[in-house]
Amino acid sequence: MKNIVVLTDARMAEARLAGAYLAGQGWRVETVPEDICLWNEATLRAWAEPLAGEIAGVIHPAPPRILGGVEAVSEEEWSRAADEGPMAAWCVTKVFCGIMKDNGGGSMIYLNSIHAEKPVGLGALFSMGCAATQMLAREVAQDYGQFGVRSFFIQKGITQSDPDSKSPVSSVYYGVDMRYPTRKLPEEDQLNGLIAFLLTPEAAPLNGSDLMADGAMTQYYTHRRKVEGRPYYDWPSS
Amino acid sequence: MTGRLRDRVALVTGGGKGVGAGVVKALAEKGVKVCINCNTNRAMAEETLRQVEAAGGEGFVFQADVTDAAQLQGMVDAIIEKWGRLDILVNNAAMQPNLFIDMYDYATLRRLWEINIGGYFHAVRACLPYLKKSDCGRIVNISSIHGKRPTGFDAGYAMTKGAIRMFTRELALELYADGITVNAVDLGGCKIEFKTGNAPIRAHNPLDCNNPDMNGFRQVTPRDVGELVCYLCTPEAQAVTGDGIRVDKGLILI
Repeated sequence: MKNIVVLTDARMAEARLAGAYLAGQGWRVETVPEDICLWNEATLRAWAEPLAGEIAGVIHPAPPRILGGVEAVSEEEWSRAADEGPMAAWCVTKVFCGIMKDNGGGSMIYLNSIHAEKPVGLGALFSMGCAATQMLAREVAQDYGQFGVRSFFIQKGITQSDPDSKSPVSSVYYGVDMRYPTRKLPEEDQLNGLIAFLLTPEAAPLNGSDLMADGAMTQYYTHRRKVEGRPYYDWPSS
Repeated sequence: MTGRLRDRVALVTGGGKGVGAGVVKALAEKGVKVCINCNTNRAMAEETLRQVEAAGGEGFVFQADVTDAAQLQGMVDAIIEKWGRLDILVNNAAMQPNLFIDMYDYATLRRLWEINIGGYFHAVRACLPYLKKSDCGRIVNISSIHGKRPTGFDAGYAMTKGAIRMFTRELALELYADGITVNAVDLGGCKIEFKTGNAPIRAHNPLDCNNPDMNGFRQVTPRDVGELVCYLCTPEAQAVTGDGIRVDKGLILI
């Protein structure tokens, strides 16, 4: 029976929370150790192969963010962003989608970010990696979909315990009560419930899907009507 | 449009052939002085320059590898030394190896990343000090519909084009206060001399071979791209920034 979900990178809080949630749902969650380089195909494959026959799904989160203007980014940051972002996403895909293809199928879930579509003005390295992974997710649907492997790209916004809710570089997180139609941030377990659903056979019609999990935050536009009786957000003066 | 672009100075990476040459010729016809960057095929770049000069335009060829920041800086220095200004950067140099996901190895994909997005990133960094001094700074990133829609014949290429989509949007926000607009041109199938990568593997699929849309009917030309780039470089296009404009004769809609 295939009951293993692989968590490729536990550095990000949302990945750890997803893993804990799935474990509570009865999944066996296996986390790739931090000393395994995610863009080294040989070492990643060597770690994965003993589990191969039981892997039903893989969750690959976005890497830690590197922020800064295009002129301020160092060569080291450029290189690290390339390896931790698109190179890792590709290598994880090649290894685990190959395994799931041989297993008769599975779910490849990229737990990524709204920054695959939404810029912040000081996050080119991170956003480029997100968008590259988004396109990889769509291509996976074609390359591996014929073998039963389904691919999902989750554009995660901020959730209730997310430290990014106090972004130092972007105004995108101001006015939460205005940007979210529900006037509150989504809860982690609502996001985790979505991930759990994507691992089930009931999600079979979905493949290559972009799933906006941001509570409609990115649908907000700053030019809004001020209507009595409806919430309105006044921007900070500085 | 001619008068509005006259005497501006542009750098077109990968400008010696194909789409880049179309952009070079369109800009030069409108009075823009153009540095034609090439890497491996200097002869074609020299031929493009000959055509520019025969039409009354002005330019020069500079051979530089866009993955090498020092070579890019040397090219920008040469432009400043020759013309004293730089107003337009057209990022175009790219390759498309046409490999499936499992056919890539790290070195091949990383090399593709360094050319297709690293070359754009580092060219922007080298040009920015001068674009900021221009009264009409422009960055145009030549990209592809592969950055929006999967095609199933080159995931690595699609990843780099997706990255250009967000690079363009991030830069547009970051550089707006400097008056620099940043846009992408998302090409569909384009009729050029030859491509650098392998033939698309799935072209062997009979369904694809019989697809009239990909058999010339809906192919665009380098001239089509060049004319759009010229518009984006005019002062009148100041309000257009952070966009990805599709040039594919509607192919993506089919």
